Amino acid sequence: MVDYRIDRHSGVATYVQIVQQTKQALRLGLLEPGDKLPTAREVVEATAVNPNTVLKAYRELEREGLVEARRGLGTFVRRSLGAAPADSPLRAELEQWAARARESGLEREDVAALFTAVLETHYPVHPKIPEGDPS
Amino acid sequence: MTATLTAPAPSATGRPAPAPRQLRWLLRLHRPALITGTALTLLLGAALLWLGGPLTDAAAAAWKEYNACGFTPRCSYDQDSILLYKDLYNYTTFAVLVVPFLVAAWAGGSLTGRELESGTVRLAWTQGVSPARWLVSRLAFPAALTVTATGLTAWLHRRAWTAGEHRIDTTKLWDDTPTFYANGTVPVALALTGLAVGVLAGLVLRRAMAALATAAAAVGVLWALVHTALPYLWSPVTSVSALGDGPLGAGIAVEEGVLTADGDRLAAPCVNGGMSGCRASLDDIGAVNYYRDFHPASHYWPLQLVASGLLVAVAAAAIATAFALLRRRTSRVSA
Amino acid sequence: MTVPAIEADALGKRFGRRAAWALRDCSFRLPAGRVCAVVGPNGAGKSTLLAITAGLHAHTEGTIAVLGTDPASARSRIGFVDQDKPLYPQLSIAETLRMGADLNPGRWDADTAERIVAGGDLDPRKRIRALSGGQRTRVALALALAKRPELLLLDEPMADLDPLARHELMGVLMGQAAEHGTTIVMSSHVVAELEDSCDHLLLIGGGRVRLAGEIDDLLAAHTRVSVPADTDLAPHDVVESRTAGRQLSALVRPAGPLPADWRTGPPSLEDLVLSYLRNPEALAAHPTTEAAA
Repeated sequence: MVDYRIDRHSGVATYVQIVQQTKQALRLGLLEPGDKLPTAREVVEATAVNPNTVLKAYRELEREGLVEARRGLGTFVRRSLGAAPADSPLRAELEQWAARARESGLEREDVAALFTAVLETHYPVHPKIPEGDPS
Repeated sequence: MTATLTAPAPSATGRPAPAPRQLRWLLRLHRPALITGTALTLLLGAALLWLGGPLTDAAAAAWKEYNACGFTPRCSYDQDSILLYKDLYNYTTFAVLVVPFLVAAWAGGSLTGRELESGTVRLAWTQGVSPARWLVSRLAFPAALTVTATGLTAWLHRRAWTAGEHRIDTTKLWDDTPTFYANGTVPVALALTGLAVGVLAGLVLRRAMAALATAAAAVGVLWALVHTALPYLWSPVTSVSALGDGPLGAGIAVEEGVLTADGDRLAAPCVNGGMSGCRASLDDIGAVNYYRDFHPASHYWPLQLVASGLLVAVAAAAIATAFALLRRRTSRVSA
Repeated sequence: MTVPAIEADALGKRFGRRAAWALRDCSFRLPAGRVCAVVGPNGAGKSTLLAITAGLHAHTEGTIAVLGTDPASARSRIGFVDQDKPLYPQLSIAETLRMGADLNPGRWDADTAERIVAGGDLDPRKRIRALSGGQRTRVALALALAKRPELLLLDEPMADLDPLARHELMGVLMGQAAEHGTTIVMSSHVVAELEDSCDHLLLIGGGRVRLAGEIDDLLAAHTRVSVPADTDLAPHDVVESRTAGRQLSALVRPAGPLPADWRTGPPSLEDLVLSYLRNPEALAAHPTTEAAA
């Protein structure tokens, strides 16, 4: 079962947070094909977000082919996001890289910053938006 | 989830929704008042029963003993019974007459005033109770209880008074003001009017204490008006008497004076036509008879019923105003 | 769902012939099934609007339809929680709920009422007069929800609640909306409190409707721009603009595509609301578009 946590101050739209957290659960194997997603009612009772927001997130997941809605039964997982299983060679390489970074004296924060920077380069997300100035 | 939890019930339009059960909650909300009112009624009823029964017998016996004494200096009679009878009669009469004030104060203060002041009326109106239904519940059952209680005590008062008539020398006459009112239907009508005026005051003022005071004062004013108008509520009888006898006719006097030979009514310069000084001034203005317009004892019920009718009409007007006020203030069902 | 939950046209209310207008010229349409935030400063007319919708006040002018009929006819299908949460102080919680059942024959859902009360660890035998403000809110919400309303009107429902209870009860409300499609209208003067829970906005200021519509549409229709101070913002509607040094920052309603060299970004809901409230004259005459029901 997924337990959605909505962060009001993250700046990420609420429905996007639900989509991301569902995908995260799929990647980590917490959700597998055939599993039932919580009903909109269960999600909104736990998170106090608007029901339409949850439905919008589920529609998005359905559009991406990750889940399917079965009338009167609920929303079910169709396929997992097993692109990076825990024992893949990519992981082994990353393990080695991390070990080297540690040997060369990098702190935890240094490693995280480095990783994020590379991630941003190869996987640009949303274009940066100038902050509004309501003050 | 229960099976009933499917969809909101279908719209109430087209068929009347089942009536909300308000009575039980009216009784629950006003339980202290109900208990107090019932206790007071029972206590007063018991006192009147005792007054009209054993105490009247004891006092009547005492009067018999007293009258048998003549001028014997040493004579014993049951003076306590006589005094107790007199006190209790006065207290119970007062109690019967004060009930309408209590009803008015309660209706204004507690029944509507406090609900509007605290906003609980909005709770009732947004549960299944429409403002009109709410008002009906605040009037109908309290009115029934009020009529029952005041009717019972007034009837018992009359019964107690009748029991003492001609047996107890100090029994009040039928036209003694407190006795006149406490023996009839006016306390019932006045209490009913108090209820209606109280409910209206609460709705208008929306403050418990203000409505309480206003309603009680309104009952006082209404009663004073009725009392002022009382002699004119039924056509009086006229007694014509010889100048030597003075004006005659026992009861509630309306007007008196002298009649001339032409039948004109004039103010009487004096009432002792038997005395020569008075006779001379009567002769000067050409008086031939005294006359007096008055209500004899037989007019008791006509006067009571007309006075009560007037009060009930005031109550009806107050109730109509209360409904009109609610209709104007709150949203109403459009045709 | 073709019948809107609320449809008001030129609605106005004043208390007394010579009194000032508490609400004036109020036109909007709330489709059924929405969760609508009624936002505005204190004294803006939010409570008056909710009380008229609940059938508690007759309006002075204009028209209002609630659930396809007049407010009085819709009364049994409306739940209402007053700002002061009036309850009978002498009753216990259990008695209050039994009263709700008796006053709403045929509609009452005792399970819902008990669940909401139980969520606050309240002893049902406790008298209303002994409850805290937040506990009273809980009982008042239980009364309003258990009559299974199609339209739930809540006047400042969260004001007395601690953050935990606020989150839990908002969850209960959202669950109600998800399960039964209940239309919920709640007022607040704190926008942030409602942002995640509401999908529709009614912004009221000075007794008038300033903005009405789906929150997503309203946000999409506005853009925050940052441009050099001498930029002409025409033909776009300017809600608010401020100049700081050589920089001009404005909230605009674009009338067409914006020049590519303007730095732009989406406003937050709070930003939008505050901008309109700070500028009472901005776009006052503009009727806002609304998504079809």
